[in-house]
Amino acid sequence: MKNFDRRKFIKKAAAASIGLAGAGAIMTGCGRKKIAEPAGLPPILNGAPPGKKLRAGLVGAGGRGTGAAINFISAGPDLEIIALADVFQDKIDACRERFASFGLPIPAENCFVGFDAYKKLMAIDEIDVVLLATPPKFRPEHFLEAVTRTKHVFMEKPVAVDSTGIRSILTTAKKAEAIGINVVTGTQRRHQEDYIETYKQVAAGAIGRITSAKAYWNQDHVWFRLREPGWNDMEYMIRNWNNFCWLSGDHILDTHVHNIDVVNWFTGKHPESAIGYGGRHRRVTGDQYDFFSIDFNYGNGLSSHSMCRQIDGCANGTGEIVVGTEGYTNCQNIIWDLDGNIKWKFEYPRDENNNPTNSLKIPAYVQEHMHLVWAIRTGNYVNEAEQTAISTLTAIMGRTAAYTGRMITWDEILKSDMNLGPSKIEFGPVDMKFEVPIPGLPVQI
Amino acid sequence: MNKIKITRQSKKKKSFVWIFFAGVIACIILIILGDKAISYTSTDEYCMSCHVHPHAEQSWKLSTHYNNSSGVKTHCIECHLAPKGKGYLLTKVKHGIKDIYGYWFKDSADFNWEAKKLPENAKKIVYEESCLECHTNLFPVTLSEDGGNAHLFYTLNKESLQCINCHIDVGHFDKNIKHAKDTTFGVIKTETAIVYTEPAKVEKFENFTEHIPGTEVSFNMIAVPGGKYNMGSPDDEPLREDDEGPVREVTVSPFWIGEVEVTWDEYLAFFQATSSQGRTEGQIVTTKKVDAVTGPTPPWGAPDQGWGKGSRPAITMTWYAANVYCKWLSQKTGKYYRLPTEAEWEYACRGGSSTPYFFEGNPKKFSSEGFVKKIFKPDTAVIASYVIYKENSNYRTAEPSAVKPNPFGIKNMSGNVAEFCSDYYSADAYKNDTVSINPRGPLEGKERVIRGGSFKSDAKDVRSAARDFTKTDIWLMTDPQMPKSIWWYSDCIDVGFRVVCEPDSLVLSKK
Repeated sequence: MKNFDRRKFIKKAAAASIGLAGAGAIMTGCGRKKIAEPAGLPPILNGAPPGKKLRAGLVGAGGRGTGAAINFISAGPDLEIIALADVFQDKIDACRERFASFGLPIPAENCFVGFDAYKKLMAIDEIDVVLLATPPKFRPEHFLEAVTRTKHVFMEKPVAVDSTGIRSILTTAKKAEAIGINVVTGTQRRHQEDYIETYKQVAAGAIGRITSAKAYWNQDHVWFRLREPGWNDMEYMIRNWNNFCWLSGDHILDTHVHNIDVVNWFTGKHPESAIGYGGRHRRVTGDQYDFFSIDFNYGNGLSSHSMCRQIDGCANGTGEIVVGTEGYTNCQNIIWDLDGNIKWKFEYPRDENNNPTNSLKIPAYVQEHMHLVWAIRTGNYVNEAEQTAISTLTAIMGRTAAYTGRMITWDEILKSDMNLGPSKIEFGPVDMKFEVPIPGLPVQI
Repeated sequence: MNKIKITRQSKKKKSFVWIFFAGVIACIILIILGDKAISYTSTDEYCMSCHVHPHAEQSWKLSTHYNNSSGVKTHCIECHLAPKGKGYLLTKVKHGIKDIYGYWFKDSADFNWEAKKLPENAKKIVYEESCLECHTNLFPVTLSEDGGNAHLFYTLNKESLQCINCHIDVGHFDKNIKHAKDTTFGVIKTETAIVYTEPAKVEKFENFTEHIPGTEVSFNMIAVPGGKYNMGSPDDEPLREDDEGPVREVTVSPFWIGEVEVTWDEYLAFFQATSSQGRTEGQIVTTKKVDAVTGPTPPWGAPDQGWGKGSRPAITMTWYAANVYCKWLSQKTGKYYRLPTEAEWEYACRGGSSTPYFFEGNPKKFSSEGFVKKIFKPDTAVIASYVIYKENSNYRTAEPSAVKPNPFGIKNMSGNVAEFCSDYYSADAYKNDTVSINPRGPLEGKERVIRGGSFKSDAKDVRSAARDFTKTDIWLMTDPQMPKSIWWYSDCIDVGFRVVCEPDSLVLSKK
C-alpha cells in the first residue's frame, strides 16, 4: 500500500512543483521579484482529511519533540506515534509515559537510545512519517537519512546551525522533491491563518512597495541547566543544549528565526548581507550571546532591523513590522495607513457565545501537521525545507556578523566551511574550547 | 450554356484536385525520404563512417554512456546535437555543413584533438540541453555530499557552468581528466635515489645547484646581475597592449632565478612533505614556527593532466600554494626563496634585450591570430626553438630540454607555462608606480600578475613585456568543495611558477 501511494505522489510532485516555485525561486534568483500573486500558500484546515493510516516515529523525545508528537496525532484521524529515538533513556521514558497516559502505548522494541537511534528508527519499514525535533545540530543528518529511507518529514526549525549543515539541507530538500517526499517545517507562522491573510493583503499591494522591516524577539532569560555530578562533557552539553552555539545555533537561530522567516516571506527574498552587534552580559552557562542587533541589507535600500535579547527586566516583545510606501503591518493581523489609521484587520472567529476572540480555532502547531497529513493523503505536494533553510542561513549570517564584527555577505555564508561542534559525536570528554566570541581586533598599544 | 460551363469548371476542378493529390503524395514521399535520410544520417555507424578520429569510438565504449550497469547506450547525436524539438535540425545542418567542409577541404592529420578535448572547445560540440534532456534529476537520493554541493553550485551559476565542465569524461573516457578527488596523487614514491642531507652551500654570487635536504631533488639557479633596464613595451611595439606602458626605467638588485620553471619533481617533494588530508587544517600558514608549514590538500583530478611529471613544469597549483612552496623551500635550505617581482621577471626574461622577444623577430609575423593567418600559416622556425606556445605545443607542457635558453641561460621564460609574480595586477600599474628601484607593484589588489604566456598562448602573448593576471573565480569554477580549494585550481592547466633566491650582502661582497 505504502509504495502504491508513494508512486502517486511522485507524479503529483511535478504539478506541485509549480507551487513550489515560489520557494525554489529564492535559490534560483528569480525570487528577487516581489511575489505578485500568492502561490503555494498552505491550506487552512479544520482537520487533516481521512485516509490511509499514517505511522510516525519521533526523533528527539524532549519537550518540543513530545509536543510535536502530540500535535501530530491531534491533526486528524488514523495518525499514530509508533517509535521513539533519543540519546537519553529518561527522555524516552517520559515521552512513552505521556503517550501511555492517553491510552496510546508505544512498543518498547520501537524505542531506541543513542546517537544512532535515529537510524534504527528510520529502518522500521511501516513508519511513513518522521518528526525531527532534536537540537538543530543533528537535523541535517537526520533529514538526509529520512529522505534516503523515503519517510515524509516534519522537522523543527532551525534546520541547521552552520553553513555545512544548511547546504546539506538544501541538497536533501532537492532529493526529497525529486521523489515526492513531503516536508513541513516548524515555522508555524507560515501556517497561521491570520498571518496568511495579512500576507495576501500585502501581496495584493495593501502597503505599497515594501521599504523597511523590523523583526524582534526580546524576552526574559530562557532555561539552562547546571552541570550535575556524573555527567560527562557531552552529556552536560546536550542536556543544556539551548546554551551551546554548536548545538542550538545561539538564540538568534533558535527563536528569532521565526521573525526573520516572516520578513523573508513578506519581502519575497533573503538579505544580501548583514552587519550587526551582540554581546553577553547575564548568561550563566554555555558560550552564547544574550543579545543581538543586526541590520540585514535586502538590497535597493531595503533594510530589516533584527533584534533579539534574553535578559530579565528589559523591554520585551516579539513580532514583526513591515513598512511600505502606502502603509505598514504587524504581519499578523492589522494593516495601517501611513497616518496610523487601521485600513484592514483580520477577523478572528467568535466563541460559542458569539463574543469576539483573539485566537484561531486551530493552533498553528497543529495546523502545520494537518498540512503535512493533507499533503500526504491528497497528493498536494509540500516541501518547506528550502525556505526554512534560507531563513536559518539568514540567521547564521546575522550571528556571524555579530560574532566577528565583519560585514557578512550571502555568498560568503552560503559557501563557508563553517561546521560547528566536535568532529566526533560521542559521550565522554570533549576537547573543545568554549570562548565567547569577541568581535574585531584589540587596540594595538 | 450553363451546363457546359459547369462541366468545364468541374473538369478544371478535377485536374486541380489531381495536381493537389499528386502534390500531397510527393510531399509525403519527400517527408518519408527526408525523415529516412535524417534517421540514416543520425546513426552511430553513419557518424563513424566519416569521422576520422579512431579513438573516439573506443573512448566512447569505455565511457559511462556506453559501459554502464544499466545497459543503456547513449548515441553520438544524443550529446553532439541539440535534442529533438529544441534545435535538433538546426544543429544537424550546422554540424553537417562543417563536417562536409572539413571532409573535403581539410587534412584530418592536422586536427589537434588535444586542443579540441579541452572543456572550452568541447562546449561547442556538446549541448547542455541534451544532457538535461535525459538527466532530469540532478539530486538523486544516492548523490554524495560533494556531488550535492557541486550541483547546488551549478543551480546557482547556470550561466557560467555547463554539465561538461565537471563531467567531461563521461562521453569519451580519459583516465587523466577524471573529475574526482585524487588522494593518491604524488603520494607514492616510485624510485629511490641518493637523498641529499644538506642544502647547497653558496659563498659567491654565481650559478649554483640547490639540493633539497631529505629528498633526491636538485635544481639549478642562475645568477642574474642587477642592473637598469626599460620595463614595458614602447607604443610602437607590434601587438602590444595598453597595460604594458608607459615604458619606465627600473633598477633591480642582483638575484638568482630558477633555470627552469619549478618541476613536478620539486613540487612533489613539497607536496609529500607537507600535504594535509583535511582541508581546514591547511588554511593557515604559520610564519613564526619554522617547522610547521602546512601544505596542500589532495588535488581535484590529475593536476599533471596525465602528461607526465618529472622535469615538466608543475601546474595548476594556486598562487597561494606557490608562495607556501617558497616558504617551505626557504626553511629547508636556509636561504630566502620567494616568487619573482614583476620587474625581476621581465629583467630576467629580456636578458639584456629591448626587442619584443629576447630573440629576433616581429610578433606580427609569428602571430597566428586573424583570418589571413588561418590560411597562410605563420613562419615559426625561430620562435619555436625558444618558446613552447600554441603553434608547437600540441596543447600541453614540454620538458625544458625542448627549447634553447635566453642570453642569461634561463629556459622557458616565455611560453610553456605562465608564471606567477609576487605583484598584484593592475592595468595602470606602470602609470601609477613611482618606485624605480626594485618596484613591487600596487600595495593592494585582488589578482596577481602572471607573465610569459603558456603553451596555449599566441605569439603575441609570449612577448617579454606581455602581462596577464590570475582569474581566481574562473579558475576554481568546477571545484565542488565549499569553500573552494586554496591549493589547486580546478580549471586552469597552464599556470606554474619559478623561484627567485635573494642573495645576502655577504655573498654579494665576495666577487
